[in-house]
Amino acid sequence: MNTLLKVKGELSPVCSKTHITYSFYIPEGVTELHAHFAYSPKVLEDAEKSKELVLESLAAYVEPHLLPVYRDKWESYLPLNNLITLSLDDPQGFRGSGHRHNPDQRYILSEQEASPGLERGPVISGMWKITLSVHCIVTETCDYELQVWEGEGTL
Amino acid sequence: MKWLPYELHTHTPHSDGRHSLMEMALEAKKLGLQGIALTDHNTMSGLADRDEVQQETGIAIIRGLEWTTFYGHMVTLGLREYAEWRDLGPDDIHKGIERVHRQGGIVGIAHPFRMGSPICTGCHWEYAISDWNDIDYIEVWHSLFPPIRNHNAPTFAMWTDLLNQGCRIPASSGRDWHNSKPNDDPAAASFLGIDEELAAVDMEQAAVDAIRKGRVSLSMGPLLLCSIQISGETYGLGQTVPVSGKELSGSASVIIELDSNVRKGSWTMPKQTLRVELVSNKGVIGECSLSADDTAISCLIDTKGLLWLRAQLYGTFHECSTMIAFTNPVYFGKFTE
Repeated sequence: MNTLLKVKGELSPVCSKTHITYSFYIPEGVTELHAHFAYSPKVLEDAEKSKELVLESLAAYVEPHLLPVYRDKWESYLPLNNLITLSLDDPQGFRGSGHRHNPDQRYILSEQEASPGLERGPVISGMWKITLSVHCIVTETCDYELQVWEGEGTL
Repeated sequence: MKWLPYELHTHTPHSDGRHSLMEMALEAKKLGLQGIALTDHNTMSGLADRDEVQQETGIAIIRGLEWTTFYGHMVTLGLREYAEWRDLGPDDIHKGIERVHRQGGIVGIAHPFRMGSPICTGCHWEYAISDWNDIDYIEVWHSLFPPIRNHNAPTFAMWTDLLNQGCRIPASSGRDWHNSKPNDDPAAASFLGIDEELAAVDMEQAAVDAIRKGRVSLSMGPLLLCSIQISGETYGLGQTVPVSGKELSGSASVIIELDSNVRKGSWTMPKQTLRVELVSNKGVIGECSLSADDTAISCLIDTKGLLWLRAQLYGTFHECSTMIAFTNPVYFGKFTE
């Protein structure tokens, strides 16, 4: 295996609704691309903070006359989760997206095979982009790791 | 014209759904549907099996995806390829819609009043809309057993308000189908008025055309249709009764049709007297009773000041007293489509 990209980062709630894009070069002769993406924590464990966020959401989204009913069952919206999804672009355009709730994700892409969400096809040479779409961070911090490599083999 | 039941909002494991396209199409067949739209979150990779699944199951599949963005979810149908959303900010939705329209596709706002982040990320509609004519449809009924869902009530009210303002915007239903369980609540179907000539050439475009033009009737049970007869002409859902010069005044007959043979075996309803309301920009302007065995009834209405008219069917369904079906409107105006 030959590592093409290896990064780590730390996110906080202010990173919600942002995208992080990494561009990297894929040389000629690559036939099989792999990626591993993981983030942690997934779940907001802080009970007080969870309650505060749920009640804030209910006030924002529920019709006022129904609010008391919803406030009574605020616990049914737990746990609150972080959500980051990954998408991939080759030098010619979009190659798919993994809209998954699992915080530990593996991808493979080749002419013969593609993980669900990705488009099968040749791994052409040029600048590729991998985008992390940070839909929501509810925890104080959230660490992520992303590694992309080519060739057979695993981490 | 034939009316075919579709499910317009579905997911597979290519995003976060449970059943494969083949499994879902087989389930759809059991539910008496004729077609589905595959609308995975932000990807079209699940459509690789489309031809095979269509051939094997006979279920027509509309290509689409659900833009699952930070500021709202938008269902896009009739796409040939992915349309970009990742560069859209809360004020840029019209730029995104243009990308879908350029491909011949249509856009529908999904579950606009569902709770948003962090309970359901991006699920509540927050994009600024400067021109409602750019929106091809609204998912007015979302989820299973949609008429009893709290979040569909404000959507229904918003849709009615837009119609009152003169917007001709179609309503659809979408189950947001991620999985199937034996005791699932009843699902609604969007019955699409398919132009058979167009369907013979391109079934997908015929379905998209029906939604775009408002030839859609939504129901958990029987198919409900309504049309207006005036001066020897008949105008159906999505069509415009022409009004020349001054506003239309006088009376017209409304024909209400009920077909209880649709999706046979996939829904049941106790024997009862059903009630149909004729709703318009002037409120409820007519009401009649009928049984599930009736196929058509007519009533007279006063057409003065009408902009639009739709039918709503009420009765007991799944042990609830509820709206069971409603049609898209017939419009009144200065031109025909």
